[in-house]
Amino acid sequence: MNITNEQVKNMYQTMLKIRKFETRAKDLFAEGKIPGFVHLYIGEEATATGACANLRDEDYITSTHRGHGHIIAKGGDLKNMMAELFGKETGYCKGKGGSMHIADATKGILGANGIVGAGHNIAAGAGLAIQYKKTDQVCVCFFGDASTNQSTFHESMNLASVWKLPVIFVCENNGYGISVSQARHQAITDVSVRASAYNMPGVTIDGNDIFAVYEAVGEAVSRARKGQGPTLVECKTYRWRGHFEGDMTVYRPNGELDAWLKKDPIPRIEKYMLENNIMSEAEIANENAAVDNMIKDAEKFAEESNVASLESALVDIYSDMVEEGRVR
Amino acid sequence: MRKMTYAEGIREGMSVKMRENPDVFLFGEDVGKFGGCFGVSAGMWDEFGEMRVRDTPISEGVIIGAAVGSAACGLKPIAELMFIDFLTVGMDQLVNQAAKMRYMFGGKINLPMVVRLPSGGGIGAAAQHSQSLEAWVTHIPGLKVVYPSNAQDAYGLMLTAIDDDNPVMFIENKVLYSVKSDVEDEVKPIPFGKASVLREGTDVTLISYGRQVFDCLKAAEKLAKDGINAEVIDLRSLFPLDKATIFKSLEKTHKVVIVSEEAKRGAFTGEIASIIAEESFFELDAPIKRVGALNTPVPFATNLENYVLPNEQDIVLAVKSQF
Amino acid sequence: MISIGIIANPASGKDIRRLVSHATVIDNNEKINIVERIVLGAQALGVERVYMMPDSYNIGYRVEDKLNTCDELKCEINVINMFRFDGIEDTLKAAEFMENLNVGCIVVLGGDGTNRAVAKVTKNTPLISISTGTNNAYPVMMEGTIAGMAAAAVASNRFNNRLFVEKDKRIEIYKENELKDIALIDAVVSKDLFVGAKAIWDMNNIEKIFVSRSHPASIGFSSVVGCKKIINPNDDYGAYLDLNSNDTKIMAAVAAGIVIPISVSEPVILNFDDEYEYITKSRGTIALDGEREIQFSENQKYIFKISRNGPNHVNVKKILETAQINGFFTV
Repeated sequence: MNITNEQVKNMYQTMLKIRKFETRAKDLFAEGKIPGFVHLYIGEEATATGACANLRDEDYITSTHRGHGHIIAKGGDLKNMMAELFGKETGYCKGKGGSMHIADATKGILGANGIVGAGHNIAAGAGLAIQYKKTDQVCVCFFGDASTNQSTFHESMNLASVWKLPVIFVCENNGYGISVSQARHQAITDVSVRASAYNMPGVTIDGNDIFAVYEAVGEAVSRARKGQGPTLVECKTYRWRGHFEGDMTVYRPNGELDAWLKKDPIPRIEKYMLENNIMSEAEIANENAAVDNMIKDAEKFAEESNVASLESALVDIYSDMVEEGRVR
Repeated sequence: MRKMTYAEGIREGMSVKMRENPDVFLFGEDVGKFGGCFGVSAGMWDEFGEMRVRDTPISEGVIIGAAVGSAACGLKPIAELMFIDFLTVGMDQLVNQAAKMRYMFGGKINLPMVVRLPSGGGIGAAAQHSQSLEAWVTHIPGLKVVYPSNAQDAYGLMLTAIDDDNPVMFIENKVLYSVKSDVEDEVKPIPFGKASVLREGTDVTLISYGRQVFDCLKAAEKLAKDGINAEVIDLRSLFPLDKATIFKSLEKTHKVVIVSEEAKRGAFTGEIASIIAEESFFELDAPIKRVGALNTPVPFATNLENYVLPNEQDIVLAVKSQF
Repeated sequence: MISIGIIANPASGKDIRRLVSHATVIDNNEKINIVERIVLGAQALGVERVYMMPDSYNIGYRVEDKLNTCDELKCEINVINMFRFDGIEDTLKAAEFMENLNVGCIVVLGGDGTNRAVAKVTKNTPLISISTGTNNAYPVMMEGTIAGMAAAAVASNRFNNRLFVEKDKRIEIYKENELKDIALIDAVVSKDLFVGAKAIWDMNNIEKIFVSRSHPASIGFSSVVGCKKIINPNDDYGAYLDLNSNDTKIMAAVAAGIVIPISVSEPVILNFDDEYEYITKSRGTIALDGEREIQFSENQKYIFKISRNGPNHVNVKKILETAQINGFFTV
């Protein structure tokens, strides 16, 4: 499986967008500008980026509570995303979803999701729709290691396999279910072994190596497009931040984060680009500056947007009904 | 006019839409060649083939979840759960996903899906196969809930449910499946939120839906002998709820008894009662009465089940207590 | 104290070959079972201590626990106390440690990568390499019990190693006079632009194959050469050939489940002292024993050499024959 320089540059830009969006979201949360919960994707950029690099606009993804990375990688708009984090009317969900519920049907993003494991079944449904309509689309289902203990994982893997649905189950094994390490939440180290229970291929790869992710998911996508059914791809990665912002990560052993910081996927792709003359130091600096500006623009857009009107809380529950408002 | 069973009404409603629109399909446990646990989809597999009348594994979570996912991707799924009791297994997919996705996503997604939910007791199926859980689903903003009592309504409500762009809970009563009733030659979609007044009366309003509609009608006949002229309203649609028809009736009768098969504690009848109390209190000449099942699980033995579930005598007693 | 070492790689058996060449995932519980059988075979024939590499799945501790629970553990299991990287570094370190402890034999449970790592750091210790998958060039499928018995016979030190230990060849890859890496069986120059998921299965991208041995009964690139010419482990040379050069086409098992026609040139013998100089024409990678490891750019010089500096591998059949002839099994 090969790749053009242009594709490598695009992947790099996507990873930068995720890293910088998340880093800024962290600061904005600390400043009190973003309410609620924010689960950051910093450190896992290669997984979403490498996986989505194989997808077209009309392909679907399902995401998780830690969804910003997936949405950016699938082509989500930074301005609408940031505005949603701020709870503004210009946000993706008009301020009604927030960080955990960003979706963009036009980009095949079937939503981030606040329920651990809920995306599995929705992805199976998307796969069913694709199969029913006989197109060659696919659905990539992103989920964490801990969600593989939910019944939805079993139900959807089983259904996808027995019906040969075009679903690629991409497990982002970041080692933790909230504060509980993988060793304490499941009696296996490699989620990929669960694939054999469903008679589908299972692969474990370095989730911080963008090319490994690109390639493995690429093979799985091509299988799915050909009607050969689902695949489980486990990407070993690590979240640098806590489960959510404000989590002091007291449960992490000393040295663990440091070891993973050394496996940062971004310098790895930079090194590759420099070694292979895909981008020069100066071009990399320019790209960083350009992405910085995108994030600034997104933040400005969010800051300057209006808050949602109170009446807007009453619509969008149904396609054809408006709820009664509060009388005070 | 023709005679059709309740099950046939549901089947015809589904089949008409499936003939009309290739994006409509039915799936669930044993809905295929087997024809569904209660025979509702009998023959549909032969007509529409295995991809459109599709047997699923016994996995209620993914049945509802796949309905959500496929609806989000442009299909119009009809998901059958074998018993409403099994909804508990897939509750997250219904409550946290189906009901909330449109809202959470700022209205940018349609979920045209129907979940069929065989409900109620009376067949000796005991506690895990006899519940009435309409209060659970009507409580959730984002779901529409209908509950027909006869073949014509089942047919017409199904046509509307499939065309609706929102998740519709289509509650079916198991005892009624084999009950025959008149169906018009050409059935038109029945709009949601329109109750039907099955018996006009002047002295008391009996509000119900599903199987208890028939208990209400029987009770009304008994009451008539005692000179009490009861009006019987079949809600048909629990959300949206036809408040106008209820209030209009109360203006006439000033007394109300609300009947369902649910365990009475936390029942949907309580919601109707509170709506009346809040919005139409001064029409009332007597305390609102509710009739429901006892607050027990539904027992197995026939005598026990009959004891626990409500019947027309309970309705008669409730009405008489108001006079 | 008669001791052996066991290196069981928890990461092997799960790579992209599950997806591209009809292989299945080998889960770590199966590896635990195999290690248990190695230990049981070894202790029955006199091994008193088993050193094990520590790993993220705690294979060593789990084996100890399981065998203790069923009251079958008679030897001592010593999981080496060392800092764990959960990567190939662990194998290097553990193998070095075991050699320094003078274990009689190291049993390696893993794929080609694991064996290559062990081979890099061990000089004298005999190896028994058990395959954990279907796609390996170097390790072979073997029952753990037999491997354990063979390891015990080797470690007993009662027999002359020359009878059953064979020094393997290796392919050495130099860049700027520095040994960059080694391969045990084959090294392949490919146009794949990145290391990525490591395994290599698309023949269209392959330019050149170097082998230390070749046989049609093997899997992978040694089979490609082997379908033209057989080179035995004891031949003091290797060979190379060009792929996709529009010469004759042969059918070869390039990976498990992949038997396809490939156009190959005539193999050229590469003697021990020969240095093959390869100047890269474009960007690409060098795959070692079927796994992309080295990434190169245009116009770089690599030297390929065959030598007999490979690992000392135990011929399991021969050691057990020797043991039998000498009454080792007599109780």
